[in-house]
Amino acid sequence: MMRRALSICVAVLAIVLIAAGPTIVVTGQLLAYQDGYVFFTTGDGFHVAPNVVIHDAKTNGTTTIAPAPRVYARATFDSTGTVTQLDLSRSPLPQEGSFDEVARFAVALSSPVPNPDLIVQTPAPGQSIAPEFRHFSGRPVLVTFETEVPPNTPFTARVYITTDSSGWNAQAIPMDRIDTLHYQITRRLNSGTIFRYLYDRGSFQSVEVAQNGLQRAPRSIVVTDADVRVVRDNVYAWVDTTSGSYNQNPTTLPTPYNPAPFPNLPGGVGPPGIKTPCPAHPNCPP
Amino acid sequence: MRRISLPVLFALAVFVLLGAPARAYEPVLVRLSADRVQFYYDRFLVEADGHVRVQASNGFVATGDAFSMDLKLNRYVLAGHVTLTSKGSSASGAAIADFLDFDRIYFVPVTTEPDRWTFLGGDLAHPVKGRIMPGDAFSFPQLPEYPSLTATGAVIGTKTYARFEGAQADFGGAAIPLGSYVVNFSSNQYFAQNSLSGANFDATWNFAGNTNTLSALHFRYDQQNYAYLAFEQHVIGDHEYAIFSMNPLTKAGKFYNLQLYDRLSDRLQFQTFTQVYAYQYNLSAPQAATQTTYIQGTYAFPHSYLAATANVTNYNMLGINPLIQQTLFADSVKTGAGNLSHPSSLEINFSSFQNRIGKTPFYEQIYGRYGFNHDSVGGDQYLQGCTPAACGVGPIPPLSVPGLQAFGAACVNQHGYSQPIYFCPVYTTIWNEAVGFNLYATNIKLGDQDNPYKTFLLNASFNAEEQWNSLPHRIRQQVTSISLSRQFERQVNASLTYAIQNTGDYYLTGGYTTCDPFIAGTHLPNPNCPNGLDGFRGAATWRTTSLQVNYVPSPEFNFSVLARHHDDFPAPSPNFYTQPPLNVIGAPIYNTYLGQPPNDITGDVRFKLFPHILIDVARTYYFHYGSQNWSPETIVQVLPI
Repeated sequence: MMRRALSICVAVLAIVLIAAGPTIVVTGQLLAYQDGYVFFTTGDGFHVAPNVVIHDAKTNGTTTIAPAPRVYARATFDSTGTVTQLDLSRSPLPQEGSFDEVARFAVALSSPVPNPDLIVQTPAPGQSIAPEFRHFSGRPVLVTFETEVPPNTPFTARVYITTDSSGWNAQAIPMDRIDTLHYQITRRLNSGTIFRYLYDRGSFQSVEVAQNGLQRAPRSIVVTDADVRVVRDNVYAWVDTTSGSYNQNPTTLPTPYNPAPFPNLPGGVGPPGIKTPCPAHPNCPP
Repeated sequence: MRRISLPVLFALAVFVLLGAPARAYEPVLVRLSADRVQFYYDRFLVEADGHVRVQASNGFVATGDAFSMDLKLNRYVLAGHVTLTSKGSSASGAAIADFLDFDRIYFVPVTTEPDRWTFLGGDLAHPVKGRIMPGDAFSFPQLPEYPSLTATGAVIGTKTYARFEGAQADFGGAAIPLGSYVVNFSSNQYFAQNSLSGANFDATWNFAGNTNTLSALHFRYDQQNYAYLAFEQHVIGDHEYAIFSMNPLTKAGKFYNLQLYDRLSDRLQFQTFTQVYAYQYNLSAPQAATQTTYIQGTYAFPHSYLAATANVTNYNMLGINPLIQQTLFADSVKTGAGNLSHPSSLEINFSSFQNRIGKTPFYEQIYGRYGFNHDSVGGDQYLQGCTPAACGVGPIPPLSVPGLQAFGAACVNQHGYSQPIYFCPVYTTIWNEAVGFNLYATNIKLGDQDNPYKTFLLNASFNAEEQWNSLPHRIRQQVTSISLSRQFERQVNASLTYAIQNTGDYYLTGGYTTCDPFIAGTHLPNPNCPNGLDGFRGAATWRTTSLQVNYVPSPEFNFSVLARHHDDFPAPSPNFYTQPPLNVIGAPIYNTYLGQPPNDITGDVRFKLFPHILIDVARTYYFHYGSQNWSPETIVQVLPI
């Protein structure tokens, strides 16, 4: 009698276990929750059980967080691929499971079709892949910019990098002088960054120009995955010191032409013909 | 001035404004509204939540719960109860992702069941069903804790700008209402061109703009004007720009600047700069006004270039009356009116490229120029003064302003008693020509060349230039610099530099007037003629030895020390030579001048104050030169990261 009862219990338990199947748990970020489906940012949509349990992922209790885009979730799938429980959080959750395990449960009317856009391109010999088709990890890379400045750069000049990343602020990245002709700075840039930049001496009235005297297009680099990178450039001329330039400060009145090279020479000393102090006389200037 | 000059300036700006945008990049416009729009400046992310509505100029309107756009990647995601409407038809689904650069829209519709559709080339009527999508097509970014801006709506011109409406900036936890705010992230560097001077601090409010224009109000601080406002307008094209500014807007002395530029071909460009200075309270009639205009054309050859530069200046746009008032009532009329001259100049310049000399480590470059400076007013007007019949008041004594150039010849009848009175002969036209060359060597390696931390680098440069004037005199200048540098370890580098500059001003007849080291008729030292100046005949020498050490442990921290010793002729004399004026950020406007303190040491530290703000502080110590220990100003700059 006892043996028969035990056998029946074992059989029932086996049937229940087989019927329930193993559960699968996956964490991810929600894309949408609607129409009886939950969508993750992988783009996959899954059936949601009518009596789905929604908990707080941290307390495992009730939650005020509603399933919605941006919310992080731990989803529990039953053996049929239906989501039976969602544990929600506004901050990222530790990774559990993999969407590869539940991909077969994703609901889609159409059969998958290969995407030619995603086929990795093999560059022709001697060619490189355009930056927009490369893959970057986005991790920080120490990029050192070293530039050679024109020989007529004033010794105490400050040199900067201006870049589109900072709205072309002329003093965005100050550089350090390392010898009479070179300046250097190291910045942390994420790989994949397309960095457009120019060198200047603190304003666009002293920005670099091309060797042919014309305004130059911004320099551009693509930050590739590496620990460090060194970029070496040549500044051929500054717009305010190049031959033929006009050095006009936006808030300074121009001074009359005066080819006298000693601007702070004291009175009484100087070129011939310079006026001397006027003796007391009614016709002297005020 | 109000009748002629400003309308002309605005007409030029309008001319460029109408002409420039025609060839410009046409972005896709994304109009966004939502309960809450947020912008993260450091990552160029626009996020929106609650009743999101997106209207794109590429043909559809979509609504949803949440929106995320990466302005740099130029793509966006709209998710949650999405409805998509285009040309009368509509569909609903869970999310769309628009990859604008690739003309791909990925859509997760929910009809009887979810599906995956891809729209190619903006064709919303013919989805490609089932196509596998990029793995990150619908990903939302992890966001920093606090947004830079919150708003109620935005217009995003892809790859160029985002204009936020109902914007508020978060400043230390306080919300500052901005109304409209434009973030410009165009790769067109012409947006960077500006007609404002430098400032120690500049907070910019871009209150209007689009692909081709940007209007900004600047809240600025510098060490001459202190706190003030400035206005700047950009009008930008692919090959041209016009920039207009009023600075400082809230001070009486205002500079109205207009820059125009056009790149006509790969070899030819023209640019102009016009400045009107007006001393006026608010926008009232100016008490003083000065105008100058530069026009420059540059033509590039394969290995050299030619540039022609013309300048016209009017030092007193208001005529003689304000000048008379300034002369008579100096206390009641602000200075700045200038004299009555209106000089002009034209100069043609030639420059070669920098060429390597054979296989040596040396490079050379030659250049030259030829031109004239002219002042048609000459000496008559502003040296003769004014009679009551001519001016209505007076008599006005002769003014002390010399003409275009009063040097170079003996002064006949100086301080004469008969009219007209000339202090000196005044040249109304001076021709000048100059030639020069640069010779330099760069990064010659010395020492252990296999170990970068034990390699010394030798750099040297030499510049020589001679200028002849019809005055007649000539100026000869040579500058030689040589440095030895080394990177000791990753964080530390140092350089030792010796530079010598010789400048001579030589006259065909006569020479520099010298001073007497003794008071006339005595053996007492003449305080106006310190040691060295008595032997000065127009040739000076500056010798500078300097040592610079940089300590850079991280990109966010830098400390550098520059120690210099000057051995100059004429020798410096404390408190005798006037020091050069400082520019608005507190630095000398020229670097080589007589009377430099013999020793100075400058410390410069740069550090991160806030997550996106660097502070740079620099000051110089003069080792008790005369009574001077420290430089007049501590230079403090606020820099973005």
